[in-house]
Amino acid sequence: SRRKRARARHKPCALKELEVSVSELGLGYESDETVLFRYCSGTCEAAVRSYDLSLKSMRSRRKIKKEKIRARPCCRPLAYDDDVSFLDAYNRYYTVNELSAKECGCV
Amino acid sequence: DEILRSLAGPPSPPGQDPHGWRVPVDCVRANELCAAEPSCSSRYRTLRQCLAGRDRNTMLANKECQAALEVLQESPLYDCRCKRGMKKELQCLQIYWSIHLGLTEGEEFYEASPYEPVTSRLSDIFRHASIVSGMDPATNSKSNHCLDAAKACNLNDNCKRLRSGYISTCSKEISASEHCNRRKCHKALRQFFDRVPSEYTYRLLFCSCKDHACAERRRQTIVPSCSYEDKEKPNCLDLRNTCRMDHLCRSRLADFHANCQASFQSLTSCPGDNYQACLGSYAGLIGFDMTPNYVDASTTSITISPWCSCKGSGNLEEECEKFLRDFTENPCLRNAIQAFGNGTDVNLSPKNPSPPVTVPPKTEKSPALPDDINDSNTMYDTSIITTCTSIQEHGAKLNKSTEQSLCYSETQLTTDIMPDQKTFVDQKAGGSRQRGCRILPLVPILLLTLGL
Repeated sequence: SRRKRARARHKPCALKELEVSVSELGLGYESDETVLFRYCSGTCEAAVRSYDLSLKSMRSRRKIKKEKIRARPCCRPLAYDDDVSFLDAYNRYYTVNELSAKECGCV
Repeated sequence: DEILRSLAGPPSPPGQDPHGWRVPVDCVRANELCAAEPSCSSRYRTLRQCLAGRDRNTMLANKECQAALEVLQESPLYDCRCKRGMKKELQCLQIYWSIHLGLTEGEEFYEASPYEPVTSRLSDIFRHASIVSGMDPATNSKSNHCLDAAKACNLNDNCKRLRSGYISTCSKEISASEHCNRRKCHKALRQFFDRVPSEYTYRLLFCSCKDHACAERRRQTIVPSCSYEDKEKPNCLDLRNTCRMDHLCRSRLADFHANCQASFQSLTSCPGDNYQACLGSYAGLIGFDMTPNYVDASTTSITISPWCSCKGSGNLEEECEKFLRDFTENPCLRNAIQAFGNGTDVNLSPKNPSPPVTVPPKTEKSPALPDDINDSNTMYDTSIITTCTSIQEHGAKLNKSTEQSLCYSETQLTTDIMPDQKTFVDQKAGGSRQRGCRILPLVPILLLTLGL
């Protein structure tokens, strides 16, 4: 299936990085300054617990119906990088915190 | 104490003559050596008492004081120097001035720098600048060197952290009446310029510009609204007096005068044709009362000045103008900044790197990275400056999916939300960027120098 093929190419959850302009962050700032954006990417198959399997089972048995649940661990930042400051196109300085991941994990 | 005695004692460390005298040492060391020698330490104590609250002439009239001074001229304290950003820099400078204030006439226009002369690492840095500006493809098309410098800093964890540190401190509004905390801002700026390698800091400070936006960015580097500008412009000589009351500011100013004083004997107008030394002394003034900056965002002419004027100078107008001209109309400083910005160095690096006045020959290279750990009051206020817009945009996309949660299936994350990212990821992943890799090799040198 499409999902299986796509997942096969994915590596375990880890930190990755991109060089992006501040404008590209989509936070509403206008600045050509480039920042390093670190994010978490990868699969969490190894981190599946009995909890996830049981939860899935509860859902398939329709014991849990309308609630929003997630029966799979998820690759997310465990810690965020230090603040990032930049000068925008109107010569104003801004500081953004928790912009970039520092450590990733399956939670 | 045992260490001190062993330093001063007969089995002298390598590089010293048998008595440990007359070899340039830093003043903290010199003070230790002096303390271990009863005659030296008593004379030094006498001299400090002599100097306390007396001017030079009254002091020299006293026989005991004069004798103390004469004996100390034979001691290592006499020609000791300090290093920029060294451990215990302030203590070192206090020792230096405690002797030198008694030796000089005082109130001199130019004072000798208490800092060791900068051995010319300039070629390295200039070469680096030219390589960087030549290689980066973005610089050629839409060249904004100041923007490139910001990028280079942001991609280096150490530079980014300390830059964000001073920017957030300096742009943090305290109250309606108080625009910012200037003292904290200055301290954060000093940390930035002391602890980040000059290949990053100089690029930000001395980038060359072809348009207004670039020059304005260059002017904004030190967050002048907080670190530079003030409600009133003091008289430059008053500002100099304020600066001279502080050992650090006084030393940095003396160092600026020693290394950036226009000289008509050299090709570059700089003492010993040493641009690096001048740029270093200039950067060393940032974060003190005498903080200099670009006065405007002009691209054609570079004008530098501290925040002061010569209004109200009275009969000292001439002296004031002369003082101010060392910033505003200084061919050495201007050439050094322009040469750095263009990545061009006069290939004339001094054979004998001893430009400033009265400098003893150097024995060891001073490490480029300072070790001012004592000064590390953390001041990176974790102030949250709110993001301008919302997450609604992203939220909308996420809502399309069935399982409503912010973190989602890997497949959909990459395909739905970040469609154009996959291509970048593989090339740039792996965090192999140069992360302050300059720091590590320096550590052994540093330990060696301090441990000696």
